[in-house]
Amino acid sequence: MTTEATPGVLDDYALALFAAARGEDMLDLVEDQLFSVARAFEANDELRQKLSDQQIPVATREAIIEDLLGEGAAVITRALVSFIVAAGRASQLPGIVDAFVDAAAASRQHVVGEVRSAVALDEQQQRQLAQALSRATGKTVEVKVVIDPSVVGGVVAQVGDQVIDGSVRSRLQQLREGL
Amino acid sequence: MRLRALVASGLAAGVVLLSAPAAVAMEEEHEIPVGVEENSDLGEEELHCLAEQVAAFEALEANPEAGSRVETCEESPNPILPATNEIVWGGIAFLVVFFLMWKFAVPAIRKGLQAREDRIRSDLEAAEAAKQEAENLRGQYQQQIADARAEAGRIIDEARQAADAMRRDVHESAEAEATAARARAESEIDLTVSRAQSDLQREVADFAVRLAERIVERNLDRDAQQALIDQYIAEVGGLGGNGRSRGGNGSGGSASDN
Repeated sequence: MTTEATPGVLDDYALALFAAARGEDMLDLVEDQLFSVARAFEANDELRQKLSDQQIPVATREAIIEDLLGEGAAVITRALVSFIVAAGRASQLPGIVDAFVDAAAASRQHVVGEVRSAVALDEQQQRQLAQALSRATGKTVEVKVVIDPSVVGGVVAQVGDQVIDGSVRSRLQQLREGL
Repeated sequence: MRLRALVASGLAAGVVLLSAPAAVAMEEEHEIPVGVEENSDLGEEELHCLAEQVAAFEALEANPEAGSRVETCEESPNPILPATNEIVWGGIAFLVVFFLMWKFAVPAIRKGLQAREDRIRSDLEAAEAAKQEAENLRGQYQQQIADARAEAGRIIDEARQAADAMRRDVHESAEAEATAARARAESEIDLTVSRAQSDLQREVADFAVRLAERIVERNLDRDAQQALIDQYIAEVGGLGGNGRSRGGNGSGGSASDN
């Protein structure tokens, strides 16, 4: 089985996930849970390595997914993640999930704004940030928050190809380059 | 033909010369007194005259009146003028000999002389030509020697110039290599110094930034984080529709396209 990450293949998987979630009328829940799984997958090298290792039996990798999602995860979310891992596309899970989130937002005439912050944003901050990003980009933005300690402080938002970086990390990097 | 003419002229001359004295002797013969023949130093005419004088003296002793004849004999001997008949015969013989000589001998002699002259001239010309050729050869040899000397001098000059040029080239090459090596060494030293300065500067910057990160992380409590987030939201909201402005207070956002 090929593991080649082409945009067309990612979009096909994303559209399949999107159709399944919408068919179950659980699009928003599945979207949030898949997004969390994808970010955890990106942040954890060991998890990424184990799920991508074809030598590890599928049952073992599914058990790892069960542990990762916990008891609160929807059945369809577990099934979709297991489906991606069983298909040998675990290494492309973040891309597939991002395409799925984009498709879900597009179905609502929205775009996804991925926001990285060292600390969590409350509901009001997320709403204000979504409004601010919408004004800045001219599109209706849905905010997806990713807790990333490497940001140190502040926020980095990416809407499509546009990045608005207000993190302490970038300031420190600018300071390093300036020195 | 020429030999035959010479033989004929010689025979004619011999006949004439032998016949003339014989004729004279036949015409007049005198008895030479005994004792006079022994004197071989006297000439024939003198002998005849002496014989006549002896005969006249004897006749005078016998006849004293006949003294006039002795006086005549004493007056007639002329050592230069020969007798008339001798002159006539001698002249005829001379003319014959002269004619024969002129007719046969002289052309042959002239021809021989001409041939000899031609041969001598030819020999002289050949000798002159040989001499000229020898002169030419000597000139050529001298020219070749001069050319060889000039060539040798030229070769020596060229070799000297080549040696000078080679010495200059080696010297210049050595200087160039020394200069290049010095430049390389200086460049490497400068590069090393620059690299060391750059490394030191980077180390200092990294240290300063790490120190700043620790200070920031230590001071970034939850309230400060929330304040940064609120400030970011306010600044992004102030970007309007362009999405390109940059925060100006040190904690705002910067927009870029990936």
